[in-house]
Amino acid sequence: MSEMNGNGQLYKLDNVSRTFRVGSQEVRAVDGIDLEIGRGEFVAVQGPSGSGKSTLLQLLGALDKPTSGSLSFDGRELTKLGQGDLTKVRSRDIGFIFQSFNLIPTLTAEENVELAMVPIGLNRGKRRARGTDLLEQVGLATRSKHLPSKLSGGEQQRVAIARALANEPRVLLADEPTGNLDSQTADEVVAILRKLSQERDVTVVLVTHADEVATRATRRLRMRDGKLLDQPAPSLS
Amino acid sequence: MFQIGYVFNELRRRSGRTILTALGLAAGVGLVIGIIGVSQGLDEAQAKVLAPLSSIGTDVLVTRVVGATSTSPGTSPTPSPSAGSFNDPRAGGGFFGGGFGGNNNLNLQDVSALESENQNVVTDLSKLGKPGTKFTHDFFLSATLLSFPDAAVQQIEQLPGVTSATPGLTLLAEHQTGTVPQIVASFQTGGNTVQQNVTAPALTAAQQAAIQACFEKRFAAGGGGGFGGPQPSASPGSGGERRGAFESCLPASLRNFRATFRNPLRTIQQIVNPPQTDIQTTSYNVAGIDPASPHAGLVTTDQLTAGKWLTAGQPNQILVASSYANKNNLKVGSTITINGTTYTVVGLVNPTLTGSTADIYFPLSTLQKMSSKAGRVTQVLVKTSSASNVDAVAAEISKLLPGAQVVTTKSLAAQVTGSLGDAKKLSSRLGGALGVIVLAAAFIIAILLTLSSVAKRVREIGTLRAIGWSKSRVVRQVLAETVGIGLFGGVVGVGIGYAAAAAVGAFTPALTATTAGVPNIGSSSLARFVGVQSSTTTSTVSLHAPVHPTTLLLGIGFAIVGGLLAGAIGGWRAARLAPAEALRNVG
Repeated sequence: MSEMNGNGQLYKLDNVSRTFRVGSQEVRAVDGIDLEIGRGEFVAVQGPSGSGKSTLLQLLGALDKPTSGSLSFDGRELTKLGQGDLTKVRSRDIGFIFQSFNLIPTLTAEENVELAMVPIGLNRGKRRARGTDLLEQVGLATRSKHLPSKLSGGEQQRVAIARALANEPRVLLADEPTGNLDSQTADEVVAILRKLSQERDVTVVLVTHADEVATRATRRLRMRDGKLLDQPAPSLS
Repeated sequence: MFQIGYVFNELRRRSGRTILTALGLAAGVGLVIGIIGVSQGLDEAQAKVLAPLSSIGTDVLVTRVVGATSTSPGTSPTPSPSAGSFNDPRAGGGFFGGGFGGNNNLNLQDVSALESENQNVVTDLSKLGKPGTKFTHDFFLSATLLSFPDAAVQQIEQLPGVTSATPGLTLLAEHQTGTVPQIVASFQTGGNTVQQNVTAPALTAAQQAAIQACFEKRFAAGGGGGFGGPQPSASPGSGGERRGAFESCLPASLRNFRATFRNPLRTIQQIVNPPQTDIQTTSYNVAGIDPASPHAGLVTTDQLTAGKWLTAGQPNQILVASSYANKNNLKVGSTITINGTTYTVVGLVNPTLTGSTADIYFPLSTLQKMSSKAGRVTQVLVKTSSASNVDAVAAEISKLLPGAQVVTTKSLAAQVTGSLGDAKKLSSRLGGALGVIVLAAAFIIAILLTLSSVAKRVREIGTLRAIGWSKSRVVRQVLAETVGIGLFGGVVGVGIGYAAAAAVGAFTPALTATTAGVPNIGSSSLARFVGVQSSTTTSTVSLHAPVHPTTLLLGIGFAIVGGLLAGAIGGWRAARLAPAEALRNVG
C-alpha cells in the first residue's frame, strides 16, 4: 500500500456498477462509473437522495465490492480482495466519517479514538498518546474523557474526525459529515478536513447535499441515478 | 484478543442489559446449585442412614432375626411362604436352621429361641434377698436380635473374598434397684377331687366257675345265704363273714382293680396384686466386641474420641459411648459396678451402627459370661477383599447360613423408603431433567438478550467493521462481554444458590427413611414375634442442601458456558452483518 503511483493517482474506477436486489427488482445504485481520484484531492460528491453517493463512498471505502467493473486503490484491485484483505485496507488506509458520527456511546471520546488503532496493533500507551494528540488537533483536548452523549454534535463529529485519522489513513471518506451540524460548526468541520487534505496529503472524498460545503472542495462530482453527471479531470491542488 | 476496557465499559454503561442477562443466568445457576445441593443433601442423608455399615468399614452385616431372609441383591427382604417351612427339608440347613412358615407362622426354632433368650425378663423378687433388703441388679435381655453360635464367625471367615469376620453381641440391659418386698406371692395347690367312672373288666367263664365253686364251698361250710348284700341286722360273724367270703372268692383282677390316668397339663394364669416395692428400672444397651479387632466391629478405633482401645486379656475394661458418658458423668478412668463386678472405662467412643449402638462396650467374652451367652453372638461384621466381592460374599453367606439376614450397603440403599426414599427417587428422576430445563431456559434467556443487544448495536458493529475491526475481533469482543456477564451471573447465581440451599435447610421438614433389614431394637425379633411382617428401621433425617466448592465452581462454569454460548451466537450474528449493509440499515 505504501507504493505510490507515478501519476499520484489513488483511486481508479473503471465502469464500476453496484446493483442491489430489492424484492424482485434490481436496483442499480452505482451504474457504470469511471473515475480517477488523486492523492490529496478534496472531492465533494453531490446529488439527490438515492443517487448512489453513499454507495459510491462505500465502494471507495472497501466496505462493499462492485457488482461489476474494476476498482483499484493505490494500484491494488479491490474487487479481487477477500473480506480479510478489505478489512486490512480499511484498518490501515481509510478513515470514515459518518453523518450520525457513529461513536460508540459507552466509550469516552479518547476511547473512541483509540478504538480505531486497535486493528493496527498499537499498544495501549501509544494509542493513548496518539488519541490525545488527535483530540488536541481537533480542539477537544479538554473533552477527551467525556462520553458522546455529553458532547455537542460538532464535538462528536470532531471526535469522529480524530478517530478517522487515528490510523493515519491515505483517504478520508465522509458521508454527509455536516448533515447534522449547524452552519458554523459545519464550516469548522469542513475547514478541518480541508486542512488535513492540504497539510497531510490526505485524500478526502466527501458526500454532501450542501453546496456551501461542496464549494470548498477541489473537485465536485454530481451523481444522479447512479451515474456521474460530469467527470472533470482531477485537479491536484 | 479483545478490549477489556471496552468490555468493562459496555457492561458498566449498559448496566440494565448486563444485569438483566446476568440475572437470567444467575437464576438458572442458582436453581441448578440448589438442585445439586438438594441432590447431594439427599445423598448425604441416605449415606447417613446407610452409615451404619460404611462408617465401620463393614461390607456385609450378618444377623439372625426371626423369619429373616437374605437382603443381598436379587432377593426380597420379605419372607416368602414358599421359601420353606418348618417341615421343609430346605429349612433345616446349618445351625441357623429354620426357614419360613408363612407370613404369620413362626418356625418353632425361632419361637423357642425367642422364649429362651427372653426368659430372664421376669424378675424373681424372692431371689433378690430377704424382705427389706436393698438390691441392685442388672439383667441382660436379647431384645434386639437372636443370638447364634459364634462358630458362624469362623465359617464366614473361611469364605472366599472375606477379609475378616468380626463377632458382635448386642443386648438390652435392665438395671434395677429397690427393696425386696415383704410378700412376693403365695400359691397353694392340691385338694382337688378327681372322679372317674370305671367299668370293671368282664369275667371269663373260668373265673365265673371258680367263683361259683368258692361260694358253694364257703357257704356250705358256713350255712345258708348265697349272693346277698349285707344283712341289716347281721350279728357279728354272720353277714360280715359272708361279705368276706364274697370278696375272697373274687378273682385278683377285681379285688385289686387299678386304673391309670393322667391329669391334663394346664397353665393357670391369675392376676395377682403386685407386691408393694420401690423397684426402679432403667435400660441401657450393651455390646460385646472383640478387643483383638480394633478396626472392624460394632465400634472401631476410628470412633474412639477419648482414651484407648480395649486391651486383650483385660476382661474388666469397657468402652462407653460419649453420649452415655456425658449423661452419667463418666470419663476415662471412671468405674462402673455391674452385678458386683467393677469395670473401668478405658475409652469413649462415638458409635454409628444404627440399631446396634450400645452405651457400654465390653470385651465379648465378658459380656457372654455375664449374660449367660457363652459362645453366642448376635452379629457378624464382614469385610470383603474388594467392593466387587460384596454381592458374591453376601450370596455365599446366605447359602452357608440359611435364615441369616445378610445386609449389604448396596442392598440397603435400594430398600430405603419413606419420604427420603421418595425424595431421592424424585430427585434422581426429575432433578437432572429439572436442572437441564432450568439451565437451558437460562441459556436461552441469555442468548435472546444477547441477540437483542446485537440487533440494537448494528450501527456500532458496522462502525467497528468500517474502522478496520475484523469479524473475528468483533466476535471476540461480543464473546468477552457475554462471558463477563456470565461471570457476573455466576457470582450472583452462587449467592442465589446459597440462599436456596439455606432455604431448603430451614424450611424443609425432616425426612423419614425406612430401611428394611437393618436390625434395630423393637423392630426385628420381638416385632416379628408379635406379628410385624418385616424387620425395618425408620429414622428421621433432616435434609440439608450442602453447597460444596465443586458445586460453586460448576455453577460459575455453567454461567460462563451460558455466556459463551450467548456470545458465540450473538457474535456469529454480528459477524454476519456486512459493514456496508450495517451502515446502510442505520443510515
